[in-house]
Amino acid sequence: MRKVANILEVNSVTKTFGGIVALQDVSINVPERGVVGLIGPNGSGKTTLFNVVSGFYVPDKGEVWYHNGGNSERIDGLNPNEVFAKGIVRTFQIPRLFKSLTVLENLLLTPYGQKGEHPMKAINPETWQEEEKALAKKAIELLKRFGLVEYAHVKVSELSGAHMKLVETIRGLMTPARVFLLDEPAAGVEATAAHNLFRLVRELNANGYTFLIVEHRIEVLMQYVDYVYVLHNGQLLAEGKPDEVVSDKRVIEAYIGDANA
Amino acid sequence: MIDVVGFLISWLTFLGIYGILAISLNFESGTSGVTNFGKAFFYGLGAYIGASLTVYLFLLLNNIDVSKVSPFDVEGIVYLGQFATKNPLLNIGLFILSLLLAFIVAGIVGYLLSYPIIRVGPAFVGFTLLSTGELFRIFVLHYKPLGESKGIMSIPHPFAWIPNPTVRTALYLAVVLGFLALTYFVFNRIYNSPLGRTLRAVRDDEVAALCLGKHVPKLKATVLFIGSGFAGIAGVLMAFYLGSISPTYDMIGPPITFNVWAMIILGGMGNLTGSILGAIIFTFLDRLLIFVTPNLGITVFSPDYIRGFLVGFLIVAVLLFRPQGILKEGKIETLAWKVYEEEVKGEKSG
Repeated sequence: MRKVANILEVNSVTKTFGGIVALQDVSINVPERGVVGLIGPNGSGKTTLFNVVSGFYVPDKGEVWYHNGGNSERIDGLNPNEVFAKGIVRTFQIPRLFKSLTVLENLLLTPYGQKGEHPMKAINPETWQEEEKALAKKAIELLKRFGLVEYAHVKVSELSGAHMKLVETIRGLMTPARVFLLDEPAAGVEATAAHNLFRLVRELNANGYTFLIVEHRIEVLMQYVDYVYVLHNGQLLAEGKPDEVVSDKRVIEAYIGDANA
Repeated sequence: MIDVVGFLISWLTFLGIYGILAISLNFESGTSGVTNFGKAFFYGLGAYIGASLTVYLFLLLNNIDVSKVSPFDVEGIVYLGQFATKNPLLNIGLFILSLLLAFIVAGIVGYLLSYPIIRVGPAFVGFTLLSTGELFRIFVLHYKPLGESKGIMSIPHPFAWIPNPTVRTALYLAVVLGFLALTYFVFNRIYNSPLGRTLRAVRDDEVAALCLGKHVPKLKATVLFIGSGFAGIAGVLMAFYLGSISPTYDMIGPPITFNVWAMIILGGMGNLTGSILGAIIFTFLDRLLIFVTPNLGITVFSPDYIRGFLVGFLIVAVLLFRPQGILKEGKIETLAWKVYEEEVKGEKSG
C-alpha cells in the first residue's frame, strides 16, 4: 500500500477568505487506485479543499500536483474545465445535473471535446454521427450496468435523490477520467442506497479508478475507505487507517465538541 | 375594403423577418440561457450596415461624388430614386453584399459583447445588451454620416427594376421566406447536435458545465456570434423591405426586442418550432390591427395603442395560463435515441 505512487498530492495548501482561514497548511496524498476519505465537522474546510483541487479556488499558498502515468503536472490555478480535461471529475453535495435534459443526454454530454460541439461541425451531422453512436453505445452500456436503463428517457429533475447521485457519479465514467472527487455522496440518501453507492465506488476502484470522498456519514464511509484524513478548523487533525482514526481521541473530541456547540 | 393580397404579402414578410429574430433569440435565450435584451441592437446594426453601405456605394458606382451629394439630402434621394430602376445587377449585388456584411459585422460585435457579460448574472447580461442597443441608437441619431435623425431614405429595393409592385413585393417575400427557412435549418441542426446539448447544459447549470470541461465563455461567445449574425440579416431584410430606416425608438429600439421576446414566450422557450408559431400569431395580430384599426373610426386616442396593449395582454395571459408557452421544450434528437431503441429492443428479443 505504502509503495504505490500518489496520483494526487496537495502540498501545504493555505486558503483564506478575508480574515477567515479556511485551510491552513493542509497536505493530503491520494495514492493511485486508492479510496481516500476526508472527514471533519461542518466548516472544517473539506469543501474548500475540493474547490481548490477542482480549480474553483486558487490557493494562497501551496501546490496541487497531479501525477498521471509518468506525467507530473501542477494543477492549482487551472480553471475547472482544464482540471476536468486532465482527468479529474468532481461531484457536488447537492447533485448538479442538467435538469432539463434526460438521463441519457446527461451522460452523452459529459465527454470532453466532442466533434459535434464545434459550431461548423454541429450543422453537418455527418461529421459527428459516428462519435455520437459510439458515445450512445457506451452510455447505454453504463445505464444497463447500473440498472438505470429504463430511466434513459426520464428528465433528471424527475429522478429520486439516490438516482441523481448515481447518475452524477457514473457520468464521470463516460470520460477517460481517473480520479473522482465525491462530495458527500451519501448525504440525503437512505442507508441501503448509500451502501449501494459505496459498493459501486469499490467496484470502480477495482477497475482502476481513484477516489477522494468527503462524507459526513462516517459510519458508512469507514467501511469502504483505505485511508482517512480528518480536517478540523482548516487544519489537518489526524490521518490514518479508518480504525485508527475512529479511536483517535482528538477526532472524537472534535466531533463531540462540535455537537455541543 | 381590406386589400387581401397586400395584407398577405405584408404579413408574411413581417413573419419572415420576425421569425428569423424569434428563432435566433430563442436559441440564445431559451436554449443557451443568454438573456439577450439587445436583439434590436444587432437587428438595427444589420439594418444600418446594409442601408448605409448600399446608398453610398450606389451613388459612388453611378459616378456621383458623395462628398458633395449626401445620400441623405433631397438631391441624393432624388438620384437614388432615378438610378434604382436602371441596373438590376447592381441592386441585387448590393443587397447580397449587405446581407453578408451585416451577418459578419453583427456577428463579430455579438462575439465581442460576450466579454463584458461573462461574469455577470442573467439580469445584468440582459441590461448590458439593452443599454448597448440604446447607446447605438442614440449614437446614430447624432452621427451625420449615417443621416442623423433623418435616417436613411430611399434604399434601392433589390427588385426595384420590376415595374409591377405586387410581383416585386412577392419576389422579395420569397427571398425573406427563404432566409427564414435557412435560419430554421441552421438553428435546428445546432439544436439537435452535441453543441445544442452542451448549450442547454450551460443554461441549466453553468458551474457544473464548467466542471465537465465545457468552456462556458467560448460557448456563449459562439451563441452570440451566430444569433447576432442572423439578427443582422433580419435587419437588412427589414431595411430593404421598408426602403428606409431611421433611429427611432419603434424602429430599432427596445420595442422590437420585447416584441420578439413576446413571440418566444408565447411559442415556448427553448422550442424553435414554437418560435415560428409565436411569430405567426404575433405578426398576424399586429398586421391585422394595422390594416383594421384605421377603419375603426377611433379618434379619442391613437388606434396604434391597441397593438401595444394587446402585446402586453397576450404575454400576461400566456404567463398566467401556460407559462411554458404553447409548445414545450423537447429532447435533443440525435442518433443516440435510435441507438437506444436498437439496444433495448435487441435486449428484449435476445
